[in-house]
Formats: sequence, structure tokens, C-alpha cells
Amino acid sequence: MTRPYTPWLLVTVALALAAIYLFPLYWMYVTSLKSGSEIFANPPTFWPRSPDPSVYPAVWVRRTMPVYLWNSVVIASGVTAITVILGTGCAYVLARYRNGWIDVGLFCVLMLQVLPASVMITPLFVGFNQVGLLGSPRLAVVLAAAAKAMPFFVVLVRATFMSVPRELEEAALVDGNSRIGAFFFIVLPLARNGILVCAILTFMSAFGEYIYSKSIIQDPGLQPASVGLSGFLGPNSTDWNSIMAYSAIYVTPILAIFVLLQRRIVAGLTSGALK
Amino acid sequence: MSRFFNSLRDGVGFDLLLVGAAMLFLIALAGAPLIYNVLMSFQQVDMFTLGALMRPFVGFDNYVAVVRQPEFWLVTRNTLIFVVGSMTGQFVLGFALALFFAQKFPGAATIRGLFLVSWVMPGLVVGAIWSWILAGDFGVLNVILRSLGLIQSNIFWKSDPNFSIWAVIIANIWLGLAFNMLLLSVGLAAIPRDLYEAAELDGANAFQRFWTITLPMMRSTIGAVLSLGLIGTLQQFDLFPALTEGGPANTSNVAGYWSWQLSFQLYDFAKGATVSVMMFLLVLIASVVYVRSTRHEVRG
Repeated sequence: MTRPYTPWLLVTVALALAAIYLFPLYWMYVTSLKSGSEIFANPPTFWPRSPDPSVYPAVWVRRTMPVYLWNSVVIASGVTAITVILGTGCAYVLARYRNGWIDVGLFCVLMLQVLPASVMITPLFVGFNQVGLLGSPRLAVVLAAAAKAMPFFVVLVRATFMSVPRELEEAALVDGNSRIGAFFFIVLPLARNGILVCAILTFMSAFGEYIYSKSIIQDPGLQPASVGLSGFLGPNSTDWNSIMAYSAIYVTPILAIFVLLQRRIVAGLTSGALK
Repeated sequence: MSRFFNSLRDGVGFDLLLVGAAMLFLIALAGAPLIYNVLMSFQQVDMFTLGALMRPFVGFDNYVAVVRQPEFWLVTRNTLIFVVGSMTGQFVLGFALALFFAQKFPGAATIRGLFLVSWVMPGLVVGAIWSWILAGDFGVLNVILRSLGLIQSNIFWKSDPNFSIWAVIIANIWLGLAFNMLLLSVGLAAIPRDLYEAAELDGANAFQRFWTITLPMMRSTIGAVLSLGLIGTLQQFDLFPALTEGGPANTSNVAGYWSWQLSFQLYDFAKGATVSVMMFLLVLIASVVYVRSTRHEVRG
């Protein structure tokens, strides 16, 4: 039915589309390897004349990137820990029952999922100020960002729990396990992969968190890498090879994790996000 | 007392504990701030009353003041353009790509997965990269458009008042395109193949099959994708500080960024809260549509 050459034509078109779509990423890496004058060459060179990675160590030191990246890791870890610990249990219960209360709970979670951070930041900032949380700004950001990340996590992990057969848990209960025992030794291990993928997604999005950190953290020693990047980025920036090198250092770990786990991440998303 | 602990360990108390902990956390850090936001929008908030809960009430003064701001209608118009432009672009391109990748060819799933890279990248980095691509004098987009003969002279995407909002829209389309495509692909994969075969036997051409099978079968998916797109677009913040900072002269400012500017650059928290309450009402409408269109799917 299909002519033999069609698939290869399609593959070529697909690769071309992917290349166009991923061009911005390529441009980031290429720009970071160009010299200061080559950046402003007209017409631009699509491959650097003499690739020069020396801007990487320079930016790393000059922009105190270790401090920024460490803060990003601290914030993202905190957000992931809170989200996973609180969200997993919530998702489990929401997947286990079907009644009016569960519908109300799900509705609340879905509503919270849609709140823009720019709506929440003003009341959170004033509220944190009153409670005195602004004294430990990273904790404040972790709490705020965890509340933002949790609804999405709950929706995705709930789908994972739905795919764990109820009979296995019931069998464990009949065998004399307590609810706690059945949860920790039967249900959690079966849902482990799904939870792990969602936790990684949570970590990656918290790693790039910007608006809460920018608004709440004033001390440069505690700010994450996103705020560090915004420090030399604006409508009139010109230092493009440094900016692109900074961006490359910042996103390469995320991209590497994503490419490694691509299959699982896509599967986790498609099973949870809509179905 | 022991009955209480028993129930926690081995009864419905266990469920209540699990769901209660998460709900308390969410109420404290999302529900309460939301109500507090509404309260603040009716109060006079300045540096002296910032630390107090009960501030002088001013009724609708903040709302009146916000609407009377000279930039109010400009920001409203920009928000509409931004939402409609981004959603249209993301949806049309996402649907086209989803249809393309629904063909059977080796590596389709893997290549499609690569597109999702944009979705995991920090918004600020995406903004930085596009800021460089869209730069007026040395940006690569202008060079490409010029060599294709589409434009005669450079477009100053970020500093030309006619184009600044479109600069952010282009970056936002790139950012959200992949997620739209993924969700639409899931919907496409769920359509039974034999429907198409039957239609083909009946002599329907590709366009007719798309119009009479694909679109009607995708209705709930399309509803969910469009409302998620609306919500995602209203949530977009990071691209604005990276690309235009709302400028020049607010020509690329939208409600979310304006609210943040009022609160954190002008320290006018009452007006910031007022704008974000207005925006919340918009999000509320979108999310009702979203919940309605995914309800049966979420309940599984």
C-alpha cells in the first residue's frame, strides 16, 4: 500500500522540522563559542570561525555561578521534597476513592493548578512579610514554589496510582497488612517509576523558577541562577556571548537529564496530563 | 485514644491524614493568599500599613484608580493580543505537527519527543535566547527574513512599539508549541483506525476525513488543549523581563507583568493586588472551561 520511499521522505521532513524547531538551542551554543567581534558579523556565521570556549570559565567565575547554581539546587531540592512527600499521599487518596468529596478535592487541586504565579506573588510577599518569613528568603521561595508545583504533581501521580491494580492492595490487607503497611510495601513500590518521573519534572521546573525568587530574595548570595541571569539581561543587553554561555551552563544539565529520560517523561506526561 | 491511633494506622484516618496534610499546605500557601489578595484590593496599603492585617478600607477606590491609569486600556489590549496570538500560534502549529507525526515512519516518537525540550527549559533562558535571535541590528531572525526576501529592512522587534508584543508572542509560541503538540498527539492516537479505513472505502478524501472524523473525535481534547493554552499563556511571566520588560512605553505589557511591576517596582501593593484580582477572574473563567472539558477524563 505505501510506496517504499515515503517513510524516508517523512523521516527527512521530520528531521528538518526538528532542526528548525531546535535552532534556538543550537544558536545558544554557537553564539557562546564565538568571539566578541564575530557575534556582530554581518552576515552572521552559522558555524564559529574559531570555536573558543574560553568564555565559559570566565563567566563561571565573573558571574559567581557556583553560588547561584548551588542556590538553584537548594531551592529545587526543597520544592521537590515538599511536593513529593505531601503530594504523593494526596494523589494516592484521590485515586483510591470515587465519591463527592473526592470530586471536590480534585476540583480544588485543578483550580489551584491554574493560578498564575504573578497573581500569587503580591499576597504571598505581603503575607510572608507579616509572618516574618522574609528573614529566611530561600525557605519562603521553597514554600511558595512547592504550593505552585504540587497540584500538577498530584494530577500526574494520581494517574499513576490509578494504574496500580486495586486487587494487589486488597490482597495485602487480607493477608494482615495494615493500611500503612500496604501503602508503603505494596502500592508505593508499584508506583515508584511514575512518582520518580514526576519528581524529576518538578525538580526541573523548580530549577528554573524565577518570579518568586526575584521578588522575595534580595541578598545576591542566596539568589538562584535564574535571578543571576536576569542581572545582566535586558532589552539593551549586548554581552551576548557571556549571556549565551551562562544560559548554556544553566540548561545543559536539564537538557541532558531530559534527553536521557525522554521516553519515560513523555510517557508519564501523556498518561497523566489528559487521559 | 488508641482507637484514634488505630484509625490513623489502619483505617480511614490514614486517608484523612494523607490528604489533609497536602490540603492544609495548599490552603495555607495558595487558598489563604488568594483571599488575602481580594482583601488587600479593598484596602489602602502603603509602607506604614504593610505589616498590619487590618488596614483602612477604601471600597472600590483601588479598582477605580487602576482603571483610570493611562496604561490600563493599553495593557488590556496587549493581554488580549498576547493571549489570542499565542494560543492561535501554538494550537495551529501544534496541530499541524501532531498530524504530521501521526504518520507511521521510523523514529516518529523519538523525534517528536525532542520537541519537548522547549517545555523543560527555564522560561528566563528561553527569553534570553529569543532576545538574542530577535535583536534588531545583529539578530539572526532579521538576517533570515531578509535573505528570504520577506522584509526589506531590519525589524526592531524589541524596541519598535508595533512589534514588541509580537516579540514576546513569538517566543511564547515556541515555548508552548511542543506541549500542545504532545497533548493533541495523544488525542489523535485515540481515534480508532478503522473509522478512517471505512471512510476511505466510501471514497472520502483526506480533507473530508479530517473534517468529518478527526475534528469531531478530537472535540474534548481540543477543548482541554485550548483552555490549558489559555491558562499557560496567562501564567507566562518569565519571557517579559527577559525580552522587553513590558516596554517600550508599556506596548508589550500584559496584566500579569503589570501587576508585578506595580507591586515590586512601584511598591504599590494595593494596585498590584487589584490587577491580580482582575486577572484571577479571567483565569477562573478559563479554568471552569478546562475543568468541564477534562472532568470525565480526570474522574477516569
